[in-house]
Amino acid sequence: MSDPTSVELLLVEDNPQDLELTLRALRKANLAARVHVARDGVEAAEFLFCEGPHATRQFSRPPKVVLLDLKLPKLDGLEVIKRVKGDPRTKFIPIVVLTSSREQRDVVESYQLGVNSYIVKPVNSDHFSAAVRELGTYWLLLNQPPKTNA
Amino acid sequence: MHNEEQLKASLKENGDLKAALDEHAIVAITDPRGRITYVNDKFCAISKYSREELIGQDHRIINSGHHPKQFIRELWETIGRGRVWHGEIKNQAKDGSFYWVDTTIVPFLDENGSPRQYVAIRADITTRKAAEETVRHLNADLEQRVKERTAQFEAANRELEAFSYSVSHDLRAPLRAIDGYSQAVLEDFAALLPEEGRRHLETIRQSAQRMGELIDDLLAFARLGRQELARRPIDMADLVRRALADLEFATRDRPVEIQVGALPECSGDFVLLKQVWLNLLSNALKYTRKRAAAKVEVGCLTNQHEQVYFVRDNGTGFDMRYVGKLFGVFQRLHRAEDYEGTGVGLAIVQRIVHRHGGRVWAEAAVDRGATFYFTVNGNPNP
Repeated sequence: MSDPTSVELLLVEDNPQDLELTLRALRKANLAARVHVARDGVEAAEFLFCEGPHATRQFSRPPKVVLLDLKLPKLDGLEVIKRVKGDPRTKFIPIVVLTSSREQRDVVESYQLGVNSYIVKPVNSDHFSAAVRELGTYWLLLNQPPKTNA
Repeated sequence: MHNEEQLKASLKENGDLKAALDEHAIVAITDPRGRITYVNDKFCAISKYSREELIGQDHRIINSGHHPKQFIRELWETIGRGRVWHGEIKNQAKDGSFYWVDTTIVPFLDENGSPRQYVAIRADITTRKAAEETVRHLNADLEQRVKERTAQFEAANRELEAFSYSVSHDLRAPLRAIDGYSQAVLEDFAALLPEEGRRHLETIRQSAQRMGELIDDLLAFARLGRQELARRPIDMADLVRRALADLEFATRDRPVEIQVGALPECSGDFVLLKQVWLNLLSNALKYTRKRAAAKVEVGCLTNQHEQVYFVRDNGTGFDMRYVGKLFGVFQRLHRAEDYEGTGVGLAIVQRIVHRHGGRVWAEAAVDRGATFYFTVNGNPNP
C-alpha cells in the first residue's frame, strides 16, 4: 500500500478473493501504485472523512475515485454513499459502485444517492479484468476532477 | 232509518278492517304523553307482556336501549308536529329478548291541532335483521381473512425477494473466484502445466461462466413474476423490427431469409412482449444455423376470436413427443454441444404470454423446422 496522502484510488471490498482479483487486474493495467484498500464501510468512511487512523489526511487531497462494493460489513455501501454525497467536503469524490448485485432497487437507490457509475462485476474473469482496467484508466487518467480549495 | 243502516254498514266495515289488521300487524295506541291505551294480541305476543301489564304503562316499557337519544328525540319531534314517522326499531320483550319491528306511527290531532293519540302499526322484522347481521359478520370475517392472506402473501413475496437478492449477490462471488483463480493459474503457471492440465482449467472456467449464466437467467425468470404489467396499445410490426435489429449480430455472417407478414396491433406490455419476440426470433436463428438456406417467417393468423402470432423456421426442429417439456425452466431438447443455451428462454416466453392472458404452443418435426404460436389477448392473468 502506498503513502496514504497520495492515494488516487480507494478500493472498498470485503471479499478477499474479489479483492485479490481486483488488485491483480489493476496491477496488470499498471494502475495499482496508489491504491488504498478498505475492508468494510467504517474503514472507508474513516479514510474519506479523515478520521481515526486517517486523521492526518487532508480533505484537499481526495482520491480520484472510490471503487465501492455495496454489501459490506458494519456500514453498508449505500450508507457510505449517502454520507459521502451528503457532505460538502466529500460530495465531489467520484464513486463507482462495483458489485455483484444487478437488482434494480440497488441500481436505482445508488444513482438516487448520487453515485457516478454502477458496474456489475462480471463472472468471466477476462471481462472482469477488462472492466477494472477500463474503470481505472477512465477515472485515474482521463477524468478531470474539480480543483479542491478546501 | 236509512242513516242508521249506513252507520251499521260503516261500523261493520271498520270492524272487518280492524280484524284483518290484527291478523297481520302489531298495533298499539298511546296518549299524547306516550302512555299505552290500547294493544292488540300480536303486540302482547311479541312483547310477552299481558294486556293488563301494558295498559296505562309508558311505552318505554319495551325500550331496548339500542337507539341513540337523538333517534328517539327525532321520532317524538316528528309525531309531535303531527307528521307520520316511519322506521325500524329494536325493542325488548318482558323476558329480556330483543325483537325488531318495522314501524309506522300515525298521530291523530284534536281540534286545536295538538296530538290526541298516536297509533303505531308494526311488523316483525327480527329474522331479516338477524340475516343482515349475519351477512355483516360474514363480510367482516371475509375482509379479515383477505387481510390475513394478503399479509401472508406479502411476507412470502418479501422472503422470495430476499432469497433472489441473496442468490444474485452471494452466488456470483464464489463463481468469480473459481473463474478468476483458474485464469490466474493459466496466466502465471502455464509453462508448468501439461496440456491436459490447461484444458481442465479451461473446463473449470467454462463451467463457472455457465453457472453464472444460469443464475442470471433464473433471476430474470423469477423477476417476471413480480413485475407489474404495463398494458398499452402495441405496434407488433414495429416491435418485431426492433427485435430483429437487436439480433442483427446473429445474422451478420450468414444468409437468412426473413419474411415478416402483416402484424396487427395488440394490447400489452411493450418491454415484455419485445422479450417474447426476441426469444422466439433468436431461437429461430439459432436452430437454423446449420441450414444452407435458412428461412424465418413471422406472421399473424387472424380468426374471429383471436390473433395468433407466429414465428416459423426451417431449422432443426424437435420431436413432438417432447413438446410437453418445451416451456419448462431449464428444459432443453438439444445437446449443449450442438446448440448453446440455458433452457430458460421459452419458459420466459410462456410466463409473459400467460401473464397477458394468452396461450403459447409449438408445432415441429425433427429436421423439418418449428413453428411457435402465441396470443396475447384475453383476460390478464397476473
